[in-house]
Amino acid sequence: MAGGVDVSLIADVLQFIGVFVSFSIAYVAFRGLRQTRSPAMLRLATAFLFLGVGFMVQAVLGLEGVLSVLPALTTTVIAGLVVASALMETAGYFFLAFSHALDVMFSKRLQVALLLFPVFTLSAAQTTDALSILSFYFILYGVVETFTAYARTRKPDTLLIALGLALLGSGTFVAWLSLMYPVVYVLSLVQIIIKEVGLMILFIPVLSYALGGAKANGPI
Amino acid sequence: MRITTLLRRGNMSYSRMSKLLTELVGSGLLLELNQEKISRYMISERGLQFLAAYQQFEDFAQSFGLRL
Repeated sequence: MAGGVDVSLIADVLQFIGVFVSFSIAYVAFRGLRQTRSPAMLRLATAFLFLGVGFMVQAVLGLEGVLSVLPALTTTVIAGLVVASALMETAGYFFLAFSHALDVMFSKRLQVALLLFPVFTLSAAQTTDALSILSFYFILYGVVETFTAYARTRKPDTLLIALGLALLGSGTFVAWLSLMYPVVYVLSLVQIIIKEVGLMILFIPVLSYALGGAKANGPI
Repeated sequence: MRITTLLRRGNMSYSRMSKLLTELVGSGLLLELNQEKISRYMISERGLQFLAAYQQFEDFAQSFGLRL
């Protein structure tokens, strides 16, 4: 059990990297929104804002579980916050997938994905499980669209984003497994590590934008 | 640049172009120069900065496989 606690602590600390990366991407997208008023930037900023908040709630709750630093929270409140964080994460992935869906105006790939949707959602018994599956679906769609974009543009940055999203998707899948097999502590750590590596890969192309670059004098 | 050149290059109607030019001049992206009763337009410093920023964020959006 002691090993389990250590794993949880490492996983919770790693979550904060996700929080930092998500908020950084949201910040760059928000700057882009202010300067270009582009709806794509709005969706990207919203997606990463939701992801960041979701990760942050998960990280704080996780740390609370290990260190008990917050005032005593009732089980109902904790359960509510867990569902809320999963909802935030799912909403983030939804906006990420939604950006692509708007770009292609309901392509055949999305229609196939939506047709397959009920098969997976029916197998989920709990809300968090269902949200985890939804997240996985949304991110999978985002990955397919980003790889398609890479095939079109051949930009290394797009490939890195696609790889990052693919790792995030894999992490979400492992997260789903960890919900099904909660006794396997290592799954929880593995999913966090995969997600964090994915987020860090996502951060590489975003870094140059986050550090500055061209700026117009205020919003247009 | 004169409005006739802009109309030719932009392939737009006069009313649409003049509305667009008023908006761009109003936001400070273009400068309107009146010389001998002829209006000429040139990009402002702010316009150049906006173009640079736009290109950068277009690149950023493309990285995510999106269009700005």
